[in-house]
Amino acid sequence: MSAALSGTESAADSAAARVANRRGSFGALYSGNARSVIARGLLATRSTNWLVMLSGFVEPVLYLLSMGVGLGSLVGAVTGPGGQQISYAAYIAPALLATSAMNGAVYDSTWNVFFKMNFAKLYQGMLYTSLGPLDVALGEIFLALLRGFVYATGFTIVMAAMGLVTSPLALLMVPASVFIAFGFASFGMGITSFIKSFQGMDWINFVMLPMFLFSATFYPLSVYPEAVQWIIQALPLWHGVELLRELGAGVIGWGTAGHLLYYVVMTVLGLILTTSRLRKLFLK
Amino acid sequence: MTEPHPIPERTKIPVPLTPEQSAVKAVRFGSWYFAEHMFRQMRNWLVSIAAYSIGSPLAYLFAMGIGLASLVNSSTSNQFSGVSYQTFIAPALVASTALMSAAGDFMFPVMAGFRWRRIYYGPHASPLVPEQIAKGHIISTFIRILLPTAVYYLIVVLFQAAPSPWGWLSVLTASLAAMSFGLPLMAWVATLKTDAGQFAMVQRFIVTPLFLFSGTFFPLSQLPVFLQWIGWISPLWHATELGRVLSFGYPEAAWLTVVHLVYLLALAGFGWRLSQRIYAKRLAE
Repeated sequence: MSAALSGTESAADSAAARVANRRGSFGALYSGNARSVIARGLLATRSTNWLVMLSGFVEPVLYLLSMGVGLGSLVGAVTGPGGQQISYAAYIAPALLATSAMNGAVYDSTWNVFFKMNFAKLYQGMLYTSLGPLDVALGEIFLALLRGFVYATGFTIVMAAMGLVTSPLALLMVPASVFIAFGFASFGMGITSFIKSFQGMDWINFVMLPMFLFSATFYPLSVYPEAVQWIIQALPLWHGVELLRELGAGVIGWGTAGHLLYYVVMTVLGLILTTSRLRKLFLK
Repeated sequence: MTEPHPIPERTKIPVPLTPEQSAVKAVRFGSWYFAEHMFRQMRNWLVSIAAYSIGSPLAYLFAMGIGLASLVNSSTSNQFSGVSYQTFIAPALVASTALMSAAGDFMFPVMAGFRWRRIYYGPHASPLVPEQIAKGHIISTFIRILLPTAVYYLIVVLFQAAPSPWGWLSVLTASLAAMSFGLPLMAWVATLKTDAGQFAMVQRFIVTPLFLFSGTFFPLSQLPVFLQWIGWISPLWHATELGRVLSFGYPEAAWLTVVHLVYLLALAGFGWRLSQRIYAKRLAE
């Protein structure tokens, strides 16, 4: 407590310096201090129930056990991305990882932001300081990605323990799933800025559920007629699923690059949208 | 000054009820008054409830019943008691949707009633007793689950995935399962003083495992034995098996069917009693 007090003066000085440094086109939005938001988030995480943190990791593992083991014994071997025969569990595991990256990122950038904004009034306090909306947005996205990184690492370890990892390239699934999460998170906040009520938030799930079910998660795309295949291939989750599936099986090619490019474009567009909506989102 | 409107002969002017009449009405219909209040609140959600009740069955029946079925049917000799994979999973989907919406509707509104919005305390200041508030909440939620479950079943019928004429009864067993899971849950939520992320835990550590390990997408016997017990205690597994018996004549020993039904009724009855007792205690505090 006393340390905090003695540090107050220098903190005030440096905050003043940061405000003075606000220049350029982002000057009004950004004070270059997203790390304070991150530090606050980590501190808050430390005091929450660790089971809540763990629970985000458990869900894809349960799906893998149920669908991979239970249903897998009925399905048998399926054709992997390189044309080789792989077990059903190995087929769906990367898809579950991609889905959990999507779910985590979307949850953190929509529900979580919506709650902190409208009920916890967390951002109001932050914005009374020298922090700008872009600091808050970057800090929140970083925290979400950090969590996604931890979950993805855990899930990949579970995959390895179940004997589902056959290529060293599978390690790349971890950064790739963080990349996928970034694509979704960059859009999520922008979309949340349009939503006014809990009823409105409900529509997010309404889009996510079919995307989860139809994006070649549990069965290959070839089931669909061609027109439907095109629609699914336009959706982001399909690219995430295919990207991780190719990395997991160690079969990479131009297609892999295409999926990555999709996410690069998505992230850029998402960041443009979110940045342009930041005032609307945080400054009311 | 304008001329006063003449009152037509037949118009009845409402007469306030006497305290005795009010008391009689409150005792007789109190639960329904509270249920009506809950329904009026649900109106805000009507569009998304309707969209879910139609969208979710379509998504699952297409994805799992047609998409996934193409993998399952092509690689196994039929393991599903002689019916298609879609017919096999349809009763499970109906029951799991009912149970999952019960999980939401017996957690968040209950917490809103006691803490977030203190909705229960207004009626509690009226002649309604806490037991009626609990019953009203249960009645409204039961109907709110029953109707989408019936819609789900109708869509299953349109997919021709419920061949038996008794299939419609599975709407009732699925809604019963929603109660046998939801009412004990409601009683527990009513004891909570603070919200510290318990609901996310219930979703992830109880509801999701029930959905995944209750013989929903494959017969329970496909799982390793150390996971099968989840199904045995899961209301969802019992409702799923009942639904299968009803909608396509799943071959099963008659005593087992009775066990399913008794188990569901017992859990629901237990939750019904317990939640009323806990509401009475909590509202008296």
